[in-house]
Amino acid sequence: MLIQQNMELREKLAILADAAKYDVACTSSGVERKGRPGQLGSTVYAGLCHSFAADGRCISLLKILYTNQCIYDCRYCINRRSNDVPRAAFTPDEVCRLTMEFYRRNYIEGLFLSSGILKSPDYTMDLLYQTLWKLRYVHGFNGYIHIKAIPGADPVLIERVGLLADRMSVNLELPTSEGLKRLAPSKDRTRILTPMRQIQRGIAGQKQGIVPAPGVERNVPYRWKRQFVPAGQSTQLIVGATPENDYQMIAVAEALYKNYDLKRVFYSAFVRVNDDSLLPALPGGPPLLREHRLYQADWLLRFYGFSAGELLSETSPNFNVFLDPKCDWALRHLERFPVEVRTADYDTLLRVPGIGVRSAKRIVTARRSGRLGFEDLKRMGVVLKRAVYFLTCGGRMMYPLQIDRDFITAQLLGEEKRRAWDIGQKDSYRQMSMFDDGFLNPAPTEEDRLTAVLGQM
Amino acid sequence: MTVFTCADSFEGILCGVYDAWMSRLGHANVCLELADMGNLRMFAEYRQVEEDPEKADRVIGAIRRKAGQGVYECVYHASLSCEEQKADRIYRFLVYALHTGPEIVGMLHIPAVYELFRMNRFVTNEAMHMIEFVRFSQTEGGILFGTAAPKNDVVPLMAPHFADRLNAENWVIYDEKRRKAAIHRAMGEWILAELPDDSFRRRLAEAGDQAEFENLWRTYHKHIAIAERTNPRCQMNHLPLRFRPYMTEFQKGV
Repeated sequence: MLIQQNMELREKLAILADAAKYDVACTSSGVERKGRPGQLGSTVYAGLCHSFAADGRCISLLKILYTNQCIYDCRYCINRRSNDVPRAAFTPDEVCRLTMEFYRRNYIEGLFLSSGILKSPDYTMDLLYQTLWKLRYVHGFNGYIHIKAIPGADPVLIERVGLLADRMSVNLELPTSEGLKRLAPSKDRTRILTPMRQIQRGIAGQKQGIVPAPGVERNVPYRWKRQFVPAGQSTQLIVGATPENDYQMIAVAEALYKNYDLKRVFYSAFVRVNDDSLLPALPGGPPLLREHRLYQADWLLRFYGFSAGELLSETSPNFNVFLDPKCDWALRHLERFPVEVRTADYDTLLRVPGIGVRSAKRIVTARRSGRLGFEDLKRMGVVLKRAVYFLTCGGRMMYPLQIDRDFITAQLLGEEKRRAWDIGQKDSYRQMSMFDDGFLNPAPTEEDRLTAVLGQM
Repeated sequence: MTVFTCADSFEGILCGVYDAWMSRLGHANVCLELADMGNLRMFAEYRQVEEDPEKADRVIGAIRRKAGQGVYECVYHASLSCEEQKADRIYRFLVYALHTGPEIVGMLHIPAVYELFRMNRFVTNEAMHMIEFVRFSQTEGGILFGTAAPKNDVVPLMAPHFADRLNAENWVIYDEKRRKAAIHRAMGEWILAELPDDSFRRRLAEAGDQAEFENLWRTYHKHIAIAERTNPRCQMNHLPLRFRPYMTEFQKGV
């Protein structure tokens, strides 16, 4: 292990940003807070993305590790003890200075601070606490802070940190305890779930008017008193490092939303950074399409009123590669379609492929005052390419289409295949050739049909 | 057809609305255009709208009283749009809005309402993008200076956000296209100013000595991307090229 003293700030930033990038959570949403006179920063409920990196992921927060030295040896992690990588550690002042100066220039929306385990979970959590305390009370930073709760740290420390941060997260990493045992032998599931439960109770207790710990911040002026984790907690699951199927993943996510009141579950396509015999070889690169499908399903769980059992089951435990989960569900439930736009209720509209939360709301508002047609739907943001097979307007479909599973699947596939291809095989464009008839063949016209029937070629 | 030509500003358009409405020619026989916009029509009478704060106030009063604050905000946002027909679109929308009331904003099946909704969406979306993507560089005396070239005139929508967030800073957001700027004094108010002469920019640029944090930011931006997932198409979808010349991380380091 290489530990350098007096490293330049730029080198440290490079090392510790590199070490932090496999953590996917980079949202600044969940809490609306106005600026305070004399302090720096505010937060916006929907969150703001300040930039996008070369991999297309948003950069909202300054995502860094406090240190990438770690006492654990998790097999999937680049910072594991047995890896020979350059190690570095910030000081609390350096983190504060970077955050403040980046924030002033509108580069970032706040700080995402995580850390490798230095000495012990308690010691590490205490370092993070010191950093946050300085940032909030010495530098007067009022922007967004997302912090990792270190499993195994003292509950008192977690509570104190929670009063300074906006969002906390504990990474579950692997959906089942067997997977965890295999790849992260020094972590165990109950130790991860304990702080998660504690944060959940803290948030819930505050909502009911029970202040988490009376007098924790005794030497702080009243106007600076803060809420406990106002933006809620999140977690992350690694996709494709262990043999769990999509159904298990999505069922775990659903349980977390229900039992732990999580705001978000993030999915991270596994990138093979370590050469380890227990890790799967991924010749096609990280499983990006699978990650994409999981996010689609996650949205369906949170905003569209679906349950995990509706999307997948024990008998068909993986998502369709060619169709998004909502289309897939609709095709398996054609008895519920077509839906009449002018009368169907909001929840029914939400389940139509091509209609999202916004367009469903717009439809419900607009139809109070007039009759909607397919042209109007298009304007409201409905994706007719998909929705057209599942909707009627005033009792009529847009085209005389048959509600037939094979037919609709074939139609949707043409569209969906191209997009799945884009995600799986980015940057490789289809070569067009003289003999390529993939999409250049015109459909037979009415005259063609007539001549074919009458035999007048 | 009588065409009322008005100035390209919120007040100017509202004065146009007032004149066209009060001319009593009938909604179908009048039309609003911005001054100095393209060709004249052959069979139309042109009338110049005189700007008068009182006319604008009366229209604002009517909108607020009959249609509410939500509609007023929609009309204000639409007036910042870059579209040439915005004045007439606002007029057509107000014909419905003053008759129907606040619930008009949801009636997207009416073409006039949809057009306004569309302009409004474009303006507010771009304002949000500019709030996210504008970059400040520190200049003489700690003044933060940001440059932007938005399609719509969104600087007035960006300023309140930064006045709240950076309330203890002196900052300037300069709109290169329209040569105007929002200027904020620490712990004070912000103002909107026309700056036809841009010699001040050179002075500010010369005073900048903040290469340190700009380089750190470029370093961070480079290192946070996962090489195995490189995806320029996705990056371009989220962050179109037109924003990039003004963003620190896409500029060459010193």
